[in-house]
Amino acid sequence: MKKTLAAILGATLLSAPMAMADDWPTRPLTMVIGFNPGGSTDIQGRVLANVMEEFLGQPVNVVNQPGGGSAVAFTRLSNAEPDGHTFLFGGTTALTFTPIITNVEYEIDDFEYLAALAIAQNAIVTSAEQPFQTFDEIIAHGKENPMTYAQQTALDEAIIRAIAAEEGLDLAIVPTGGGAGMAPLVLGREVDFAYSGGTHAQYTPTGEMVIAAFMSAERSPFYPDAPTLIELGYDYAIEDYRTIIVPQGVPEDVKARLMEAAEFASTAEAFVEITEGNTFFPAVYIGQDEMEANVRRIREANEAVMAD
Amino acid sequence: MDFSAVGAAASEALTLASFIGIGGGVLLGYIVGVIPGLSRSVAISIAIPMTFYMSPFIAISFLIGLSKGTAAGSAVSAILLNAPGEASSAATALDGYPLAKQGKPKTALQIGLIASVMGDILATIILIFVAIPFARVALMFGPYEMAAILAFALVFIAGLSGGNIFKGLAAGGLGIFLGTIGLDNQTGLPRLTFGYTELMDGMPLIAVAIGTLALSEMFVQSEKLRYDRENMSVALKKDADDRITMPIFKRILPTILRGTGVGTFVGALPGLGPSVGSFMSYGMAQKAAKEPEKFGKGEPKGIAASESADNAVIPAALIPLFGLGIPGNVSAALLIGAFAIHGITVGPLLLRDNPELLYSIFAGMILASLIMLVLGWYGLMFFAQITRVPPHVVIPIVIFFCLAGMMLQGYGTFGLIILMAFALLGYLMKKYDYSFVTFLVAFIITPMLELNLRQSIILSRGNWEILLNRPIAMFFIACTVIALVALIIRTFKKEQAVANAPAD
Repeated sequence: MKKTLAAILGATLLSAPMAMADDWPTRPLTMVIGFNPGGSTDIQGRVLANVMEEFLGQPVNVVNQPGGGSAVAFTRLSNAEPDGHTFLFGGTTALTFTPIITNVEYEIDDFEYLAALAIAQNAIVTSAEQPFQTFDEIIAHGKENPMTYAQQTALDEAIIRAIAAEEGLDLAIVPTGGGAGMAPLVLGREVDFAYSGGTHAQYTPTGEMVIAAFMSAERSPFYPDAPTLIELGYDYAIEDYRTIIVPQGVPEDVKARLMEAAEFASTAEAFVEITEGNTFFPAVYIGQDEMEANVRRIREANEAVMAD
Repeated sequence: MDFSAVGAAASEALTLASFIGIGGGVLLGYIVGVIPGLSRSVAISIAIPMTFYMSPFIAISFLIGLSKGTAAGSAVSAILLNAPGEASSAATALDGYPLAKQGKPKTALQIGLIASVMGDILATIILIFVAIPFARVALMFGPYEMAAILAFALVFIAGLSGGNIFKGLAAGGLGIFLGTIGLDNQTGLPRLTFGYTELMDGMPLIAVAIGTLALSEMFVQSEKLRYDRENMSVALKKDADDRITMPIFKRILPTILRGTGVGTFVGALPGLGPSVGSFMSYGMAQKAAKEPEKFGKGEPKGIAASESADNAVIPAALIPLFGLGIPGNVSAALLIGAFAIHGITVGPLLLRDNPELLYSIFAGMILASLIMLVLGWYGLMFFAQITRVPPHVVIPIVIFFCLAGMMLQGYGTFGLIILMAFALLGYLMKKYDYSFVTFLVAFIITPMLELNLRQSIILSRGNWEILLNRPIAMFFIACTVIALVALIIRTFKKEQAVANAPAD
């Protein structure tokens, strides 16, 4: 597996002797993206790579390893040389959720979570042409009529199922395969409401889609009026952070350099612009201690939801 | 039409990078088209990994330019070698080769080129004017309509690929089966992945496509190497009289227009490939001609009919693709894969949400036709030389590109093993006459069909009556049933014919 990775990543074929911290890195770095080119993680990651390159003085090459919502990329990363030359940028659902429902070859403890740079936004959306616009209106409508919901993951489905059971709704839940499949169903009013993991950024500015509630833990600064499920009295949240992740065992001084580069990027204009402008994800800097705790806390919360 | 978007699109299509990308695609396609045995879908499947680091617009225009190039290039070998570079240019050889033998190879090539370029540009314009309103209508299609149309496309394509219906069912069934591998899109649970994380998103399309289309074809070709290739090639000489003239052009113009119409119609229907288009057009040109007996003996109209239809099919096949997100043939199905790699879902929403991209692609397609004209006109000598490249040089190069393309995908050794397995499967299918087209289209359509069918069943809550409010879905369900019944009747008639035939 290590050999395979080295072959793919080309640049890392020759392992140079470890240099001193201040002049690390002395050779190009590889940023792994667990999704196809062109997706929102990829677009954001490529800008981040440019900004980090500027700070570290070595090229940061982006390599896409799509598959299983980043599960493939994490599998590869867990087998990578822990020298800091290979790191992953992306969300953590493949760690906080995927292992709950399927067997994977890695665990949370196989990695370190150096810094989070953006907070993912999860929302419940509906069409602007529906008679119900807020989450309370959806529930009220659902108490009288059978309704339909479009899911994207087993996690959002589990949460909505729990709420529907609590409120006594007659709800049919359809799969969509992702945001691109969800949008036509909502806009064509084939379904009443749906989960959105960021696709809403494309359709709310035009006024066609409205946010009924946020599934994230906190309100979005871009939609200050939309409440969270927690505020509405449902104790559920889907949380995720776009994070810089390395395999366990990277030397301390190397991690420190990577974190400095991440902190530099978090305020760089190009990165903030692509993050907030493209996806409406707030750009942040959350350090390692907090992220290590976050990842484990989110995993536990997800396990509790799925256990029901 | 949004004119600011059109303006932006035109300016994007006219950058140096897009010239290089599209021009490179056309040139590569031309070369592939000239070499007999290298087909369009082989070229596209190998080229998709090359587009990973291009912008979506250049990537797609590059691939479409490539398709167009193969259609024009295949005429060169049809005319000079009497061996069409693509099956769809077989009709071109009927008159092209005799004309070349009569000492007019250059005239034949120029007629082929002009017909190709005109068929291409006109069909692209039709695509632009049809796809946009079509996508608007298609926006109103929900899961019921999509499921019905997909089922129809699947049955129609299986039916047209011909041969024995049971072999067709076997090939389609295998495609459907392989299309179900991967994470279930509702529960997220793995299906048939056998613990391989790499299979979570399903069998990698690139491995399946390169394996069954390209690599297996190289096995087939190497087998043929044992036989001597007849060398009947006609050489291009300097001859001032050997060129297309205005009277010839005026004579073939109506044929080109008819050929474009036939090609566009055939291309827009799912499943009918360019070969059907070019032969249909050739037949119609012959029927309409005052002197039909001249056909087959070097009639310029024969070349024009075949080539214009052959090229018109390519843009027309994008009508269902851009309108509905449904592929009309294997090349279009591969384009869906290419779009997906760039994070773009093809379908009616593409026009609405990303009109700049679509308009740029249209502009890129027109640019590709013009580049094709220039390349073909000034590169005649060069392309004529390529017909002489022996297969033992071509085959290893293509195999290298197959393997390199798979490595670029990032699946590592695992990907190569899958690729080899599908190459073997494709080889056996070709050898024993199972339709690999049915197999591939079924494989690509299955996930879409499954999702839409599943949505329909859940949304209707299992209530059939909901279809009464869905006339479009009803229409396509009826078409599917009719196509199925027709297929069964055809097979029984064939079997009866075989049974009644006297034993020898």
